[in-house]
Amino acid sequence: MTDWWDYHLIDFLLFSTRVYYRLFVSFNLAFWPVNLVLYLAGAVLVYRGLRGGRLFQRGILVVLAVMWAWAGAVFMGHYYRPINWAVPYILPIFAFQAVIMVLFSLRKTPLVFCWRGDFSSMAGVALLILAIPVYPFFSVLAGHDVLAAELFGSAPDPTIIGTLGFVLLMRGTWRWLLLPAPVLWCILTSLTLWAMDQDIAWLPLVAAWLAILGGWMDAKSGVTRKPEATSPVHLNRAQRGAADPAGLVE
Amino acid sequence: MAFADISRRSFLAGAGSTVAASLAGMPLIHAGTAQGQVATGVLRRKIPGSDVSIPAIGLGSWITFNVGVDPVLLKNCTDVMAAFFAGGGEMIDSSPMYGSSQATIGHGLKTLGIHRDQVFATDKVWTSDENGGGDQIAETARRWGISKFDLLQVHNLRDWEDQLPVLQAKKAAGELGYVGVTTSHGRRHELLSVIMQREPLDFVQVTYNPLDREVENRILPIAQERGMAVIINRPFRGGHLTKALRGVPVPEFSSELGAQSWAQLILKYIVSHPAVTCAIPATTRVDHVRENLAAAMPGKGKKDAVLPTPDMRHAIAAAIGDAL
Repeated sequence: MTDWWDYHLIDFLLFSTRVYYRLFVSFNLAFWPVNLVLYLAGAVLVYRGLRGGRLFQRGILVVLAVMWAWAGAVFMGHYYRPINWAVPYILPIFAFQAVIMVLFSLRKTPLVFCWRGDFSSMAGVALLILAIPVYPFFSVLAGHDVLAAELFGSAPDPTIIGTLGFVLLMRGTWRWLLLPAPVLWCILTSLTLWAMDQDIAWLPLVAAWLAILGGWMDAKSGVTRKPEATSPVHLNRAQRGAADPAGLVE
Repeated sequence: MAFADISRRSFLAGAGSTVAASLAGMPLIHAGTAQGQVATGVLRRKIPGSDVSIPAIGLGSWITFNVGVDPVLLKNCTDVMAAFFAGGGEMIDSSPMYGSSQATIGHGLKTLGIHRDQVFATDKVWTSDENGGGDQIAETARRWGISKFDLLQVHNLRDWEDQLPVLQAKKAAGELGYVGVTTSHGRRHELLSVIMQREPLDFVQVTYNPLDREVENRILPIAQERGMAVIINRPFRGGHLTKALRGVPVPEFSSELGAQSWAQLILKYIVSHPAVTCAIPATTRVDHVRENLAAAMPGKGKKDAVLPTPDMRHAIAAAIGDAL
């Protein structure tokens, strides 16, 4: 009987780095300009999410769900699956996350995205900066075609790192249910990138670690359990001025 | 050479004797050339216990042919296959574990119009489902676009107790040419040697190169004793060996062997072992597949491929050891 532990991690990486980055070239070319629109939608989400507004609070989760579904069904299902036999086992992670985000958006009391000035907020913004404006440059810096850029909203890694950023900026009950799927993906993709000897292999792991650490600190301080009405984004302008005299919000 | 440039006629001209062999009454699914017939310039090795021979250089597909649905990369792989067949190659090896490699091979065979008799189709069964071997083989055949394989092997000995009988039954029914088992990276040689002693195998596939020589001690002698053909995987350690030797001048004695590169020296080292039937280097480059085949071809003014003597083999291993 042959056992799984007879294999090394590298044995499960059955494609080359060149083929991996060519997936993004094919994907971006085939779905131009959809991927670019999703990418720009990500930037709008960050801006509008931090400005507040109940409609956008719900909308962020719906758009993120669409991004997860797109990255899962199209990139993972159509492009990645033929070269990685493990993908069918991973696809449920994407489906689960998309569904759970839609369910969260339908809740009577929505999750609230806001800047709190604490560790989680700073880590969340850092992850969003990493995922949206920075991540597309990694493949180019590694010497690959500019069309191999991994874009937030369509490519799994930046989409999932960005999702962690959004989760860290949220407040509201049960929000941590949104963490397991991205954290699991971060571990898997870090292992893949590590097996491919990529310099950025540690980034998804750091993102996952930041999300878990931020969540733990929030749980400890109880900040995310504070009543929603005290969140600056849900106060009227006069109340907000009192709650935020320095005008840091908006 | 672009595969579009290779017509069926030009291909047949290049691999003429192989086709002639198949037309001369070879077993239906054997691509190998009958012993004694003049083949292409590539050194041929007899499969023990049969009159069939195959070129000593085959083509692996691990990683290199796992290119998914990318049309650019599919064409690249087809070009490699075109150069391989045009140069006299026959054995292509794959596995269900290799992602889209099987489908890539099928795409290449179809695009190039390669006749079934021109390829020594080699694949594996890789499942832990005791009843799953048959279905997996059928799916593998569908991906290749063929109905029968010349050789099927139990990949990395996985569930070998259940899968070997499946393969033996197929061979007995005339649905398969040969049966084998594989390991790689020097793993599980103890178990492999037990299976080789116990089971009526036609082929074994193992890792062997001037740095990974453990099989010389036990596996290769058993293969010789039991009359088994031996396929060598990872001749270049997945490309790491030739990459590490890049820029290092080949030793002076290379010219005596007609070797112009470390890759050719390594392949000559491997196929010069009397137990070895063929090596299956994988590549994404047309120039490399030609270079690999040339390692087993007669040099300029020579009638046969020049292979290293035992002393030269020792010198090759020592030179590589010194260079790294």
